[in-house]
This record gives sequence, C-alpha cells and structure tokens, in this order.
Amino acid sequence: MASPRAGTQYRPNAMRPGARFDRDAASRPILVFEDVYKSYRADQPVLRGLELTIERGEFVFVTGPSGAGKSTLLRLLYRAETVDSGRILFLGRDVARLTAESVPMLRRNIGIIFQDFKLVPHWTVFDNVAVTLEVIGLPSRLIRARVGEALERVGLAGRGDDPAGVLSGGEQQRVAIARAIVGEPAILLADEPTGNLDPQLAIDVLGLLEDIHETGTTVLFATHDRSLLEIRPRRVIVLDEGKATDVRRGLTVDACAPGGAWTPAHEFDAAARVACDDDEDAGLTDPRTAPAY
Amino acid sequence: MEKAIYRAIRNGRADWKMHALSVFSLAVAFVCLASALLVVTNLDAVRDRWSRVGRTTAYLRDGVEPASVQELREALVRTPGVKQVRVVSPEETRRELVTESGDASMAALPPQAFSTSIEIDFEPAVADGDVKAVADKLKAMPAVDGVETYARWSERLGGLLRGGVLASLLLAVVVLGAVVSVVASTMRIVLERRKVEVEVQELVGATGDYVRAPFLVEGAAQGGMGALFALGLLAVLYAIVRARFDGTLGVLFGVQPTFLPWTVALGLVALGTALGASSSFVSLRRMSRL
Ligand SMILES: Nc1ncnc2c1ncn2[C@@H]1O[C@H](COP(=O)(O)OP(=O)(O)O)[C@@H](O)[C@H]1O
Ligand SMILES: [Mg+2]
Repeated sequence: MASPRAGTQYRPNAMRPGARFDRDAASRPILVFEDVYKSYRADQPVLRGLELTIERGEFVFVTGPSGAGKSTLLRLLYRAETVDSGRILFLGRDVARLTAESVPMLRRNIGIIFQDFKLVPHWTVFDNVAVTLEVIGLPSRLIRARVGEALERVGLAGRGDDPAGVLSGGEQQRVAIARAIVGEPAILLADEPTGNLDPQLAIDVLGLLEDIHETGTTVLFATHDRSLLEIRPRRVIVLDEGKATDVRRGLTVDACAPGGAWTPAHEFDAAARVACDDDEDAGLTDPRTAPAY
Repeated sequence: MEKAIYRAIRNGRADWKMHALSVFSLAVAFVCLASALLVVTNLDAVRDRWSRVGRTTAYLRDGVEPASVQELREALVRTPGVKQVRVVSPEETRRELVTESGDASMAALPPQAFSTSIEIDFEPAVADGDVKAVADKLKAMPAVDGVETYARWSERLGGLLRGGVLASLLLAVVVLGAVVSVVASTMRIVLERRKVEVEVQELVGATGDYVRAPFLVEGAAQGGMGALFALGLLAVLYAIVRARFDGTLGVLFGVQPTFLPWTVALGLVALGTALGASSSFVSLRRMSRL
C-alpha cells in the first residue's frame, strides 16, 4: 500500500534476483516459446513441444480450430497458467520461472483484451481505463492526462464519465483496448477480441489494433475467424496438435483457398489444412455475411 | 494508503447495504461485551468504596458497665490509625434504624432489644491488616459480643466482580467469533461480487497487497464501526437508566454509577478495528490466491 511502486517499465532485474542485465536483449526477439508443453489433464495435452519466435514490432495472427490452445498459449505468457516444461522467454526472461511476486511486473508490460471485454460495468469508462495506471501508483494528474489520450486514440474522447455497462459492444471493446494500451505495454495480446462483435465492428477493432501496431507495439492476435486473416497481409501462425506452424509470413495470399498462389515458407502441412477446414465449417469466410455471436 | 481508503469507500458505497447489515450484527455482539464491562466497572467502584470504608462496629454484651465502655473508647482513640470513635446507645440505634428503614414497627420495640455498640472510623490510609488487628483484639475482649468489619461485604463484591470479569472474557470470545464469522462471510459475498474487478486488477499488474488493501480497510471499518455503534447504543441506554434511578442507585450502593472509562471505550473500538481487519485478511487468504 504505502510501499513505493515500480514504474511502468519492465525491469528484468527486478523479476529474478541476481539476474544480470542483458544489453543484447533489445536486439533479440521479444518473445520465444521453446519446447513448451502444457496439459490440463494428463491424457489431453494441449501444447506439445511448441516452438515459436516473435520479433519486436510484429503483428501476428494466431489461429487454429477451437480448442487448439490459442487461449492457453496467451495465458501461459501472462502467467495465468504455468508451463509443464519448456521456456517462454519474454524480453529475455523466462516467464515460466518468475516468482509469484514478479508476475504483476510482467503483466505491467503486457496489454490484454478479451472476447468478453472484461470491463467493470458499474465503473465509469475513465475508471476502467485508469485502473492500469492506478495499480502502479501513478499520480492522478498524470493518470487523467494519459487516460484522456488513450480514450482519444480509441475514438471515445468525451465518454469518460459514462458507466461502462451502458456502452455498446464495440464501444466496450474500445474501452478494453484503451485499458490495455494506456500503460504502453511492450506487447498487446488479443484473445478472440472480435468474437462478440458483428463483422463491421470486428474490422474496426482490427483496424484499431493495426493503428496501435503502427506506433511500435507488438501485437499477438488470437482468432479462429479466418475472414480477419484475409484483410491484410500479416504473419499467420496455426496452432494444431499442440504445435505452432507458420503458414504465412506477411504475404497477401490466402493459404487456404484452393489453388491459392501461396509460396510456402515451409511445406504446407497438415496442421494448416486442418485449421482451414475448421474455419470453413464455421462459415465465416465473408466478414460481411458472417453471423454476429 | 489514502488511495486504498478511497477505493474502499468507492467499493463500500456500492455494497453499503451489506456493510450496514454487517456493522449491525457486530454492534449486537459488542453491546453484550460493552454492557458486561459496564457492570464490571461499576461493581469495581462499589467494591472500592466499601473496601475503603474503613469502619468497624463492635457490638457490646448487654449489661456492660458504662465505665468500661468509656475505658474501651479511650483506648481505641489512642490507637494509631483510628480517626473517630463513637459510642452508640441502644436508643440511638433504634432511632437510626427507624429513620433509615422507614419501618415504624421498629419504633415499637423497646431499647433493650438493641445493644450498645462502638463505631470506629479509621484514617483512609490505614492498612487492611491494621483494621483486622484492631478487630481481632476487640473480639477477644469479654465485653464484646461481636465485631463487624464489612470485610465480608467487600469479599462478596469481589466474588461478584470476578464473576463479572469471567463473563466479560467469555463474551469477548463470543464477540471474537462473531466478528470473524460476520466479516468473513461479508467478505466472501463482497469478493464474489467484485470478481470481475479483482480479475481486472490482477490482469493489469496489481500486486496482491494492492488488491487486498481495500478489503482490509472495509473489514477494519466494519469492526470499528460495529464497536462504535454498540457504544453509542449502550450510552443511550445508560443515560435512560440513570435518569430514572439516579438517586436510588447512589443510595443503594454508596457510589454514583459511571459509564465506561474512555480508555475502555477506545480499547473496544480498537479491538473491533483490529479484529475486523485481521479476519478480513484471513478470509481473503482462505478464499482465493490473493
Ligand atoms: N482451465 C482448464 N481446465 C481444463 N481444461 C482446459 C482449461 N482451459 C482450457 N482447457 C482445455 O484445453 C484445450 C485448449 O483450450 P484453449 O486454449 O481455450 O483453446 P482455444 O483458445 O484455441 O479455443 C481445450 O481442450 C480446453 O477444453
Ligand atoms: Mg480461446
């Protein structure tokens, strides 16, 4: 309560006592999954030796059939879950081995948004965004200024005093995005952020995340909505059978379309094909006609 | 810290009905404890008054010569620690009894029904042992029939007082249980209601202390306010009782009734606050990974 709070900056040294400061960290990938295993039940492993590297400033879609482990992957990163084995290096530190006391420090460097927004409905829009800065003990004058900026970025300037619960779904997700970015995190995780929005709003939210990405934030966007992947050339990772496969590296090509002129960085493998089949079953190929749910 | 209090107030406003209910339940428990303490306080004052009364009465046998009574009186006056000696004749005894009790039937009794007595008042500073020594000496004299030192009065009051203290201790344990269970169940409900905001705080990097702080403040406030409310209630009851029976009580016990000393009142509030905060802390620990 009265103890001085650490700043917004991720302080690797504070996370693991005795760890040396790594001057090369800035030039290395922001996030590396090394041989990560995770299962909730012994007979049903979710991640099986997953390998994944994400560079600073990337915008990456993580896709795959429902239940493939997309949410699990993100939850491991922000330490809502812990790995069974393997390493998750975020900013050069192994997230899997952080002490419980260091987890808040980790999360101050990660912005997270969800399908269900996770807003406190009886708080105002302002309070819902300010919470990110309040927990690090910023002075209220600074909080007011930065929350104001964040609300402006998501197009909700002037809505600060409204109770969050009365906003529309699209607006609520914008509040959640403002909350995620107001602390200027190194990475933004989005777990099916458009799942509760109709197609046009989904595209708006995607656009907003792309704007945020433009300012230098790394974005990890988990979705099973294939239509979103078609909108712009982005790196796409498919999760299947507990492993991650790169199916596209920033090419404007539909890997799943029959006869698509996709030039594989790897062999077009079974994992990607499974993901595509699953999405077609979901009937979400056209964002304009896809049902809102 | 101020931030935690601010957040507690913001949260508490949303759940004020539940907090009010909780404070009321705690107040009921604290009223019991505080009234037991009030009884103990006044009992102690009465006992103190009677133990320092410093009076011994020697009842003389019938037919004792006035000369030997006078001799005894002079010997007593010379005894160190004795302030005043008064010989009470049977007539005086009868008169005093009639006026004090207001019972006219006493007046009908002949003076011979009462004996001559000697009332010895001691200096206030005299030790209990000295009083007892004088009483023992008097008892050994052939002219003396019996001696009353009021020590038994004081002993009986002491026994009552010990009972009162024991009852207060038992009630304190009951209050402890009440505070722990009331605060714990309130916190359980409150935590359930605030699941989303706790989750949000944790997601954006709040430390466990940060999340816990307003709950502790709320628990402390509940305990402290419960005790305060109870004291207020008891003060009102006390004022009513005192207004109705003021004179009577004073005559009956020889002392004016008093309310709880401020130190005890403050102690009760502090006890409530500390108990509220710690039971909230314990219940948070039990309920979640907070
Ligand atoms: N807390 C949990 N307890 C048990 N099983 C879980 C839990 N969370 C997820 N799972 C299981 O792990 C698998 C992957 O889930 P998830 O990561 O949510 O997949 P996705 O987000 O790709 O749909 C699913 O089979 C799901 O049932
Ligand atoms: Mg999911």
